[in-house]
Amino acid sequence: MKDSENLSAQQSLDIITSMIDQAKGNVQRNSFYFLLWGWVVVLANLGMFTLSMLHYKHPYIVWTITIPAWLYTLYHSFKSSTDKTATSHFDRISAALWICYAICIFTLVVFGYKINYQLGPVILIVSVLPTFISGMILRFKPLMIGGIFFWIFGIIGFLLPTYMQSLAGAVAILCGYLIPGYMLKNKREE
Amino acid sequence: MFNDLDPLLHSQLRLAVMSLLISVESAEFTFLKEKTKSTAGNLSVQLDKLSEAGYIRVEKSFRGKKPLTTCSITKKGIKAFEDYVNNLKQYINK
Repeated sequence: MKDSENLSAQQSLDIITSMIDQAKGNVQRNSFYFLLWGWVVVLANLGMFTLSMLHYKHPYIVWTITIPAWLYTLYHSFKSSTDKTATSHFDRISAALWICYAICIFTLVVFGYKINYQLGPVILIVSVLPTFISGMILRFKPLMIGGIFFWIFGIIGFLLPTYMQSLAGAVAILCGYLIPGYMLKNKREE
Repeated sequence: MFNDLDPLLHSQLRLAVMSLLISVESAEFTFLKEKTKSTAGNLSVQLDKLSEAGYIRVEKSFRGKKPLTTCSITKKGIKAFEDYVNNLKQYINK
């Protein structure tokens, strides 16, 4: 790009719109986290449901598979933050939103015994916030609809017996993370 | 009567840089260079001009041993960009 100063109004406008378009970048890279966590949580929910059906004493043990997922998330977000040459407004808000969410989930898990480990529906309801708001910021409707699914399955979860809650959780994650996550990923490949 | 367009922004490369910076929180020199398809030397000169006018903030640091230049738009820069776009509208709607 040369440093020409003889710009027409239309040329100026073209520069502005094309640069803003360039800077929009690939918000779709966020699909990685939705897919990783979507699969991990679906497997954990289904695993817990299966172990409950088999009358295993500690079915929640299956949730330990989230530990490597946490570690990988930390590693991946650190690595992508050093690879990135520009930080969008969305990146900052999104990071704050999901860190707050992670802290809330951690707190709920630690104090789960206070609410008799009826965590499934509570976590689903808390998941509405970051999912729906991410969808709003990305202007990506499937994610907003995913947020609404979390809310619906949270309510269903409260109405179901405990052993069935993990099944509601698995379906909620499928609608709330996995389907929007794959749609976001395919959008990137377009 | 049309308002004059800010000469500092009415230049291809400086306008491109400002349009990029208004869209992001911050951007590295390499990002600006790649998106504007400019040369390092020219970009450097234009960044200095924008920085001297107080339109952008340029921070120099290191990533490992490599020098790192990060730019972000200032409040003054946002105001100047908005004024520029508003003045531009008058020309478009003429």
